[in-house]
Amino acid sequence: MSARTGWANAQRRAFTLGLAPALIVLAVVTLAPAIYLVVTSLTPLTPVNPASLLNFSDPLGNYRQALFGSSFLHSVRLQLELSVITVGLQTAVGVGLALLLNLESRFMEAVRTGFLVPMVLPPIVVAIIWKVLYTPGISPLYGALGALGIPVGSLITNPVAALPAIALADTWEWFPFTMLMVLAALQMMPTEQLEAARIDGAGAMQMFWYVRLPFIRPALTVAVLFRLIDSIKAFPLIYVLTNGGPGQATEVTNYYAFIQTFNFAYWGYGSAIATMMVAGVFVLSFAVNRLGGAQAADE
Amino acid sequence: MQGKLPRRRILATGLATGGLLALPGKAPAAVGSKPLKGVTLNVSCWSAPYPQFLAKYIPEFEEQTGARVVYTTPAFPIYNQRMDIALATRSEAYDVINVTFIYIGRWVGAGWVTPLDQFMDDPKRTPAAWDAKDFLTGTTSAFKDSHGRLCAIPWIADIMMAGASRYDLIRKAGFTLPDTFDEMPKMLKAVNGQQGIPGFITENHYGWTFIGYLQGFGANIFRNPPHDLMPVLDTPEAVHAAGFFSDLLRSYGPKGALSYTYDEVVATLQNGRTIYSTENEAFVTPMAQPTSKVAKTCGFSLFPAGPKGRFPQLATHGWGIPAGSRHKDAAWQFIVWAMSKDLLLRMFRDQGWSSVTRRSIIEMPEFKKKLSHNGFDVAKMYLDTIDLAAKGYMAYRTVPPYPQVDRQIDIAIQSIISGEKTAKQAMAAAQTNAIAQLRRAGVKL
Repeated sequence: MSARTGWANAQRRAFTLGLAPALIVLAVVTLAPAIYLVVTSLTPLTPVNPASLLNFSDPLGNYRQALFGSSFLHSVRLQLELSVITVGLQTAVGVGLALLLNLESRFMEAVRTGFLVPMVLPPIVVAIIWKVLYTPGISPLYGALGALGIPVGSLITNPVAALPAIALADTWEWFPFTMLMVLAALQMMPTEQLEAARIDGAGAMQMFWYVRLPFIRPALTVAVLFRLIDSIKAFPLIYVLTNGGPGQATEVTNYYAFIQTFNFAYWGYGSAIATMMVAGVFVLSFAVNRLGGAQAADE
Repeated sequence: MQGKLPRRRILATGLATGGLLALPGKAPAAVGSKPLKGVTLNVSCWSAPYPQFLAKYIPEFEEQTGARVVYTTPAFPIYNQRMDIALATRSEAYDVINVTFIYIGRWVGAGWVTPLDQFMDDPKRTPAAWDAKDFLTGTTSAFKDSHGRLCAIPWIADIMMAGASRYDLIRKAGFTLPDTFDEMPKMLKAVNGQQGIPGFITENHYGWTFIGYLQGFGANIFRNPPHDLMPVLDTPEAVHAAGFFSDLLRSYGPKGALSYTYDEVVATLQNGRTIYSTENEAFVTPMAQPTSKVAKTCGFSLFPAGPKGRFPQLATHGWGIPAGSRHKDAAWQFIVWAMSKDLLLRMFRDQGWSSVTRRSIIEMPEFKKKLSHNGFDVAKMYLDTIDLAAKGYMAYRTVPPYPQVDRQIDIAIQSIISGEKTAKQAMAAAQTNAIAQLRRAGVKL
């Protein structure tokens, strides 16, 4: 017995020693910059005054400024709007197309590949494509809308339309991700369940709602979580299409942090915003995971 | 690595540069040994036509002096962010840098850039023929520190002027290019929509393109920059200027005028898709070059005058030496070479570089001839504008927290054009936010 315990201890030590280099590298690569981010968020760091890196006289000053000022909260509200619209659209379009494309044929395989193109393009290329599409005078979009009797002005310079216009471009870029995840889940679905439902007389909607959706829910939860986290990092589209405008109509949190940090050189304040964004992503991930877990348990 | 070059080497470098200056267009192959052999100079500037043109001549400098030049030209925002960090940390990574106009207050004010008078005044380091006084005062004055010492040698004067891609349409409507703000809406009303072409456009960086109008109506950004930085954006004059300028873009601009960047403005003018603009003078060459669609119909004028005078904006960028550089003497020799009359003249003749900062070149008949388009003497406009800017009205732009105020102006003008706010509401908001931003930056108001 003691020999076995000794062997187990030795094995644990060997595993720990073996893992140690990887854990150290992980800590240095991942944790150290994150800790540094949090530390700088407690200072008024600005490159104009490098000594400000060690100024901890008002550690919560940046957070107070953000939470009691209007600009940061405005950016968070816009961020939430953008995230809800984009993730909602991407989920709906992604699931819809996955259901349509869930057929075994060479043609469908080719179609699926075509749908993946937006996702593999560099984000800046996507932004340029939509810049062209949204620019009156050179875009076929406005001509087409005009021909349909719906003449509209520039979408990205209209304070009401600018954010939905960004959301539309973001949806185009990222719906393939949801589609791919859902399609993979659908293709692993046992045919017995579908057969049984069919024999029981289930209609198309019932098949989706009671058979397919419960099966793809774990994959869908992961896809939504990834898209939610990614939507918070939206940047190239806003940078190229609207520059945060008109006014501050598209100045979402990520872009707000960029301006504060790189245009105004408020590095400490920018770190505080980034820290809050990281915290927000953690809370969001936790909530979505719990939600997905609870639903799975209910079933 | 050594902090300073030996005296003998400095002397030899000076002689080499003197030789270079004495032989226009050629490197002085016959001057002794290679005085900078073994020295690696790290030189950086943001990507623009001049630094790209210069890259072609750098092998000559290397061949002449023996120095190795590591030359980088990243995009403008990347360059500025990179250099801000390098300068703030007194990095040794760079020896010659571009001192960016909007960062002058921060970089020069904080002592991050080496004063150049010590080099310019030393005949061993700077041959008399180099003629430092030849640089236009309107461009050099921005680079002086609080002691009056020059901290960069300007390589460009980016001035604001007016240009029409379709001057023929303006003439046909019975107008000439507007000389005053009063004349602008009259002319634009007459030509807007002719042949389906909108009348007016400027780039959407309104913290730059709007200021000439603001000052022309008698308003300003700050009460008395750089000493009194209390913003004055909500005065009746400022509100009137904002309303006037926004109305030009709203009434006579193309659809989506708010989204036009500088490159888009140039492209739309070059293709004759907008008739008139007040913009940076760099639009002249694309419009006037033989391959342009509007080469025969374009026309140019000074930036129009307001009721309180003419305030064409000017931005200048210059070569400087970071305080952390360990090769300051060699760096100065590079600047002397890069900004010599002969090299600039070669760049003008070989590559068409025309935004020069040396008066002697601008006044050359050859230069004036090349910058005359359809009877418009652009060289004279260029010189007149730089001389106007020497009066000091650009002082607002080099105060360190200007980028924060610039952003508020951008937001205000966008809000007016998009119809979100009236001019009075938008400028009042800009004033409140500018005060908050300045206080946050530590400015005592």
